Amino acid sequence: MATLNQPNKLSKGYTIIYQHHLLRWLQWVVGAPVHLIVLFLFFNKRKGTNYNDLLKKKINELKHSKLAEQLFIDYGNQYDRKQKYFNQSIEINKKNQFVSKQVERQLNKLAQQELASHKLKPIKYIDYFQSLLENNLFLTLSFIPGFILYSLCFIYQNAFVRYIFERMVMTIFVIFSVIVVVFTILYISPSDAAANILGESATMEQRLAFNKQYGLDQPYFVQLWNALKGFLTFDLGHSFTGNEVIMTSISNRFPVTLTLAVSSLILAVIIAVPIGMISAAKVNSFWDYSFMFFALIGLSIPSFWQGLIFILVFSIRGNLLPATYSPNNILSLIMPIAVLGTGLAAAIARMTRSSMLEVMHEDYMITAKAKGLSNKETFIRHGLRNAWIPILTVIGLQFGAMLGGAAVTEKVFNISGLGSYIVDKQFIPDIPAILAGVVYIAITISVVNLVVDLLYALLNPRIRAHLKNN
Amino acid sequence: MGQRNRQSLEQSDLYKHGHFSLVISLALALLFLFNSYQVSSQSWSIGFVSLTIIYTIISIYQIMLIYLLRNDLLRNGEIQRRTRILGSVQLLSLLVGNVFTVTFAFRLLKTESSINYTFAYYLFITDFLVIGVTLLNLFKPYVSNHFILLMGILIALLLIDIIVIIFLIKYDQQLNQFKKSMKWLAVFLLITSLTGNIFRIILGYSLWLQNSKQDQASIDKWYFFWVKLNKSFTAMIGLLFITFTLSISITSHGTFVTSFATANNYGDLLMEPSLVHPFGTDNFGRDVFSRIIFGARISLLIGLLTTLIPLVVGGILGALAGYYNHAIDQTIMRFLDILYAIPGILLAIAIIAAFGSSTVNLVIALSIGSIPTYARTMRANILMVANLDYIEAAKALGESDWVILIKHAIPNAFAPMIVRATLTIGSAVIATGSLSFLGLGVEPHVPEWGNVLRIGSSYLETEPYLAIFPGLAIILLVLAFNFFGDGLRDALDPKVN
Repeated sequence: MATLNQPNKLSKGYTIIYQHHLLRWLQWVVGAPVHLIVLFLFFNKRKGTNYNDLLKKKINELKHSKLAEQLFIDYGNQYDRKQKYFNQSIEINKKNQFVSKQVERQLNKLAQQELASHKLKPIKYIDYFQSLLENNLFLTLSFIPGFILYSLCFIYQNAFVRYIFERMVMTIFVIFSVIVVVFTILYISPSDAAANILGESATMEQRLAFNKQYGLDQPYFVQLWNALKGFLTFDLGHSFTGNEVIMTSISNRFPVTLTLAVSSLILAVIIAVPIGMISAAKVNSFWDYSFMFFALIGLSIPSFWQGLIFILVFSIRGNLLPATYSPNNILSLIMPIAVLGTGLAAAIARMTRSSMLEVMHEDYMITAKAKGLSNKETFIRHGLRNAWIPILTVIGLQFGAMLGGAAVTEKVFNISGLGSYIVDKQFIPDIPAILAGVVYIAITISVVNLVVDLLYALLNPRIRAHLKNN
Repeated sequence: MGQRNRQSLEQSDLYKHGHFSLVISLALALLFLFNSYQVSSQSWSIGFVSLTIIYTIISIYQIMLIYLLRNDLLRNGEIQRRTRILGSVQLLSLLVGNVFTVTFAFRLLKTESSINYTFAYYLFITDFLVIGVTLLNLFKPYVSNHFILLMGILIALLLIDIIVIIFLIKYDQQLNQFKKSMKWLAVFLLITSLTGNIFRIILGYSLWLQNSKQDQASIDKWYFFWVKLNKSFTAMIGLLFITFTLSISITSHGTFVTSFATANNYGDLLMEPSLVHPFGTDNFGRDVFSRIIFGARISLLIGLLTTLIPLVVGGILGALAGYYNHAIDQTIMRFLDILYAIPGILLAIAIIAAFGSSTVNLVIALSIGSIPTYARTMRANILMVANLDYIEAAKALGESDWVILIKHAIPNAFAPMIVRATLTIGSAVIATGSLSFLGLGVEPHVPEWGNVLRIGSSYLETEPYLAIFPGLAIILLVLAFNFFGDGLRDALDPKVN
């Protein structure tokens, strides 16, 4: 047995797990095979001791001592005083109940204390289990049945690994739930898909055949299960119209949307962060006011209108850029990227400014100045390094909104991306295609948010310290 | 002395306001200049040229006023009578709708700035703009049945506004002498606020508050809030435009002819902008100007509904999650996390695909998408408030959880919710427009801004104004809400308090 003073990693992780009520149940479930074995060993071991008998004897001893009488009187008085204070009548029945309960508890405690002073302690299952966790022989023998439990213990002993693990579990949960939610919304739709697609003139047999072909005659849970299975295996079957394989359509269009979104993001960051910093450095100046004014306009401008104005000015009047997207022409991407990035850039610029301003009043900035650093140095080395956390948050959040909003921009510039695919399909409405499009965008957003959160934990010393302390 | 004057110049809100008005006027003049010359037809547009000239004159006059103001402040530390009188000439710029210089001129007119006076001139400007826009109907072939009656009422109200302003300029400091009549004025203002002019409600309530036996602390709180909001002129201009939109969408029920906006008129297809059709006509011969005015009603209504519904639902969920135990918190918040992972527009598209496109479905779809953000805001605030002393005190007094939550926790955690709501009305208006533009929103025949723009987008090459004007309407309304929300946030910020 290892030394008791230094619990090993597994035992430490187990303590943490056991304190958490939800995880406590989980560990009973996943560790069931190991627990069965240990339980058997435990009862075997406890047979040899007679702690319970000793305890009972001790309590009986105490019950007949003077101490017990004193306790009876004390608790009785306490009850009387309490009732008097609240102006309530004293009920003998309730009083007796209260007094005997309290005395019993107190005596039990005293008896345990007395036994403990003679080095007698009850053997608890959990303590026994933890001592086994520190036993290498036991671990090796029970490695296969207890693998999941041990990995869980190992994850939970390190706050950082635990954070990453919990965040990933959360993401998986969200992704599954998104599939369920979107599927359910589309499932409870009052419209009849077969009638929509085949037209009013279709016979009953044709409709039934259609329902059978797409599994629409199955009960809700079977359909849901098929959808979940489809997402996991990347096989979503065929769309209602055009007989196209949904996965192929999506994998053709998704890169376009992603390129658009990522380029807009990069452009927005490159433009907006310096603007926000200038505004913060020269706060309440003409530049600050103008930049923030433009940022607010950027937030308020609807992307479809901005797109139309761009087409009007740069394509129709100016004849500089192509009005619609074509895959081989990089120039045709400029306007969509600018339109999609406007709102994002505005949000980032505003956030950069406000978080820089907040940081600039912190004590460490004054210290940095007092140390004799130049304004520029304090600004970049101390200011920006502390201000980027809220900026990153906004970027993460806005990226999601941007992927959703891409549908509108794609329609304006006639880009065959995922967003315009969903919009086109919704007019039919082609349920499997819509489901696939929405869910894959939601998954992307969840993954981006996961990455942002993990970046925080990795790069932000404050969060790291916070994790360690917990 | 000189040092102190310089300081008072730098801190003068009026001086900043002057600069701001000047910059905006100049920018507008440049914008009009840019539009005056039509490259395609190689001709000058008379309307834009005259607007450019007028705005340039206004800007030059504004420069002069700022110069005088600066001199006064630097030399004497206070504004001279001559500057104030010269400033009143700038009031004329209201005739071309330059609200920026007009608010500056009004501010310059009165020696002691007072919040009641501010409300009074803002309500006057709103009424004036509403009348001005409505009068454009006179160029139409015919007007609505109640047009003359309603215009008469509006103009009478405008005249009363002027009297109120003059009265406030003269007797603002001695309002206590007129207690009784002030109360009657307050009642009158509250009744006439049926025109949709929010400033009437504000001024009426303000006057009533001043002459009632209310606790002085709550009166001060009310004034302090408005003084702070008034410091940000963009917020007030935002509120002005919101009020104007609300007012015109209410008064247009009686003063505009519905059939101009909805009935097809094959005699006037795709007409150029003119006095009869200020924004031209669309491919069914419908007057785009009337359509935009009628669209304001729908856009405002949907914007408000899609903000109020998630505000209430999200607020309740967030409050429950923040106040009650861990299990309830986790259940609610994890469920909302799921909704949060789906972008609002896509969730709306999915819901509309399932239930068909209609106004009701649009409102429901957009509302559901924004519940999580409100719930998160509310939860964070409740968590912050729940540990404060007064909640502990209420618990110690034996109040039930519900009473504490409703009477103490929610009211104290509500300010950030209001700010968030104001800031998101704008995005709700954009989302409504976007969905209508995609053909998923309001029914296509309804004159909603997104729908009007959708029609305009197909004539971008030949009749671009069909797409430009509804877009401008959307952007102005959204901008107004954003400016107002920003100002509100600063005014309600506990750090500043």
